[in-house]
Amino acid sequence: MSARLARPAFTLLLAWLVLYPVAIVVADSVRGDAVATFVSRPGEWGALWASLWISLASVALAAAIGVPLAFLFEWLEFPGRKALGSLIALPAVLPPFVGVLAFLFLYGESGFVARAVQAVFGLRGPPWRLQGAGAILLVHAYSMYVYFYLLTRAGLAKLDASMLEAAHALGAGRWETLRRVTLPLLRPSLAGAALLVFMTALGSFSAPYVFGGGFRVMTTQIVATKLNGELPLAMVETVALALVAALGLALLRRTEGDELLAALGKGAAPPRRPIRRAPIRALAATAGWLFTLLLLLPHLTLALVSLVPYSSWTTEALPPVLSFVNYQRLFGEPERLRPLVNSLWMAAASTLGAVALALAAGALARGQRAPRAPRALRALRAPSPPDRWRGPIETLIALPWALPGTVFAIALTTTFSVHAPLALRWVLVGTVFLLPLAYLVRNLPITGRAVLAGYRQLDPALAEAAASLGAGRWTTFRRVTLPLLRPALAAGGSLAFVAALGDFLTSIVLYTYDNRPISIEIMSSLRLNELGVAAAFGVILMLVSALVLGFGARR
Amino acid sequence: MTPFVLLDGVHKQWSPTVRVGPLSLGIPRGEIVALLGPSGSGKTTVLRLLAGFEAPDAGRLVIDGEDVTALPPARRRCGMVFQHYALFPHLDVGENVAFGLKGSAEPGAAGQKVAEVLALVGLAGFEGRKVQELSGGQQQRVALARALAPEPRVLLLDEPLSNLDPTLRERTRRELRALIKRVGITTLFVTHEQEEAFDLGDRVAVLNDGRLEQVGAADELYERPASLFVATFVGRANVVRGGGATARALGAHDGEVLVVRPERLRFADAGLPGTVRERRYTGAAAFYQVETERGERLEVLAGPEAARVGDRVYLEPAGVLTFPEERA
Repeated sequence: MSARLARPAFTLLLAWLVLYPVAIVVADSVRGDAVATFVSRPGEWGALWASLWISLASVALAAAIGVPLAFLFEWLEFPGRKALGSLIALPAVLPPFVGVLAFLFLYGESGFVARAVQAVFGLRGPPWRLQGAGAILLVHAYSMYVYFYLLTRAGLAKLDASMLEAAHALGAGRWETLRRVTLPLLRPSLAGAALLVFMTALGSFSAPYVFGGGFRVMTTQIVATKLNGELPLAMVETVALALVAALGLALLRRTEGDELLAALGKGAAPPRRPIRRAPIRALAATAGWLFTLLLLLPHLTLALVSLVPYSSWTTEALPPVLSFVNYQRLFGEPERLRPLVNSLWMAAASTLGAVALALAAGALARGQRAPRAPRALRALRAPSPPDRWRGPIETLIALPWALPGTVFAIALTTTFSVHAPLALRWVLVGTVFLLPLAYLVRNLPITGRAVLAGYRQLDPALAEAAASLGAGRWTTFRRVTLPLLRPALAAGGSLAFVAALGDFLTSIVLYTYDNRPISIEIMSSLRLNELGVAAAFGVILMLVSALVLGFGARR
Repeated sequence: MTPFVLLDGVHKQWSPTVRVGPLSLGIPRGEIVALLGPSGSGKTTVLRLLAGFEAPDAGRLVIDGEDVTALPPARRRCGMVFQHYALFPHLDVGENVAFGLKGSAEPGAAGQKVAEVLALVGLAGFEGRKVQELSGGQQQRVALARALAPEPRVLLLDEPLSNLDPTLRERTRRELRALIKRVGITTLFVTHEQEEAFDLGDRVAVLNDGRLEQVGAADELYERPASLFVATFVGRANVVRGGGATARALGAHDGEVLVVRPERLRFADAGLPGTVRERRYTGAAAFYQVETERGERLEVLAGPEAARVGDRVYLEPAGVLTFPEERA
């Protein structure tokens, strides 16, 4: 296909994958009386409001933990800083559902902590129930502070020390400098982190599903409505959630500010200040280690529970028997192995697809090098063909990120439950293909971001050099572009693979018995009270994820 | 004789005000032509048009009798050295140089040719080095070796020396010219430095605002510039607008612009009166800033002891170039 046709065709393909299903849901939702039902039920408004305030509270909590930690690790020097600094980013790389599971085993009403408290104080019942808004917020804070931590650290590392020195020289004290110089300079990082947390919390499903109890947020409400068979109402709810997401995105984008601020400084970041007084240094180090232990505790708990055989642990504070029997059953019984195999092939296929689409997007959106017209005139120039398609292609690639996963799950079910080839709709519901397709769409922003960034860093002169040496388009791609994009592909691909592997919220809407993934199997094991098996699945998910991410981060 | 490389009425329009051409230039086989011009004059665009990275809106590009206007870059057989070299960072020196050779995907197949070309640029035995570990001068030579290895018909160089430090630049310039002449390849190179263009090029093509102002040997450009732009861009020049007393004293008529090289103004006993305001000593000679009675400043090149600051002097021109005012 010629380049002239390839761009519009590819844009249409992306639109069909990403935009079309959402448009169908929007169109279907306004038909019939589902909107009236939605408006008249107080439960719906309650869920929508709950989604909103939980998300905002999650942002506040995550910032309260993440930002001070970032300052601590970026500005101060103490023993173990480096190792701890990377360990505390751990929650980000583990599947959210595994985190929820681990929380359940640790802090749940029959978890280790509750049992310990019960034993110590001789209580007859569990001291608390891990349920409701508080429980959800706890999990959110635990898993989402990392965004603030990582982005603030990155922002601080870019900070120019001479700007702080200038503020001091102008008579500003430490607090005034922080308030008037440091924080404004960090604004893009902080706004970026707030946006990430808000979107993640709004789309969060695992924690509200497991810990919500009677407390409904929009994502759980949608799934419940769909399971009740009220599909039209589920669509209206989906649209409502999408609107809140779009609103949040628009508001936070406005406060993000321009990157110019950060780009101004070219100097080095301020050097880390060692903590001089020995007792305080020891205190900082101890607190750091304790905090890290606290962070790792859920995962250690999961590992421990995975070693507990079925019904061997009842009222004891610690499990009396430990063995590998759960793992043996998991790998020995084909029916139990099946979800693992399902998850692996679906994650692999969807990742391959998402990477391929991202590569195509990169190649087509980048196109040829823009001519070297004088800078002032560039804005006047009519956009050359690659420029005209770049915007739509990049927007479509990023769109699935801006909408909660549940929205896409419902949109895809709706779109692919009808046989209308002329409208580009086929029946995929009930087949094993819909779930990997949903993973693929959800993963597009992850691979797309990485690959597009990789393309941007690529010197266009390299491809030209290859062409001038006689290499055709395909040879240039294979021998120059692809090898140079390898780090970006590995990073994006591994993140996408792990996200698909641990997915719960899309899976619960779209899975069939034949392609039930690990997360669904964990859920049913929990229902059957096979905690050990559920934990063993969780541990395997965790290990595979860590392995894949480790591979992806390799340079 | 038909030129080996021919740009025939080539034209490329970016916007109503930004364009290159229409431009025609013929280069005989084995000649080195320097494209000289200020930044934004379209030098690099001309090079990229010939290489095939840009397509002209009109005109023809011919290499060795073959019309290459519609050919993709990969089939034009133009070797190109990029401004920042564009060495492939994931390949070592040998693999970079072998890239354009047939069967270069298999290791060893192109080994002999690679060794040959690397020896030619003075980098024998560098095959296994990483390109990031090389100095700027060595990277430049690898880029040259890579461009020459597939034995292209034309060599294109985009500011090949601009990334080298000044002391290295002059030596590299001489070595580069000797090497190109040894290979005998027809070469077009882009530069914004007059000295580099004069030193390296057999002929120099002066480009301004997308148009060719003049093509000629260095002395021709200097002595007989075709336009006011060439006169002022190539070499140092005093420009005196027509109509004033100074212009008349130097022999210009109304409606003319007058250009005098500093070395063509002499201190004399009579002539245009003025006062020496500055003296810049350069060793063998000195530049003097002379202010005329009407406040114009003229630059004079003379012996280091010819005058002192504050001296009242008379200037006599020994060769004046005149251009019509409207072309200014």
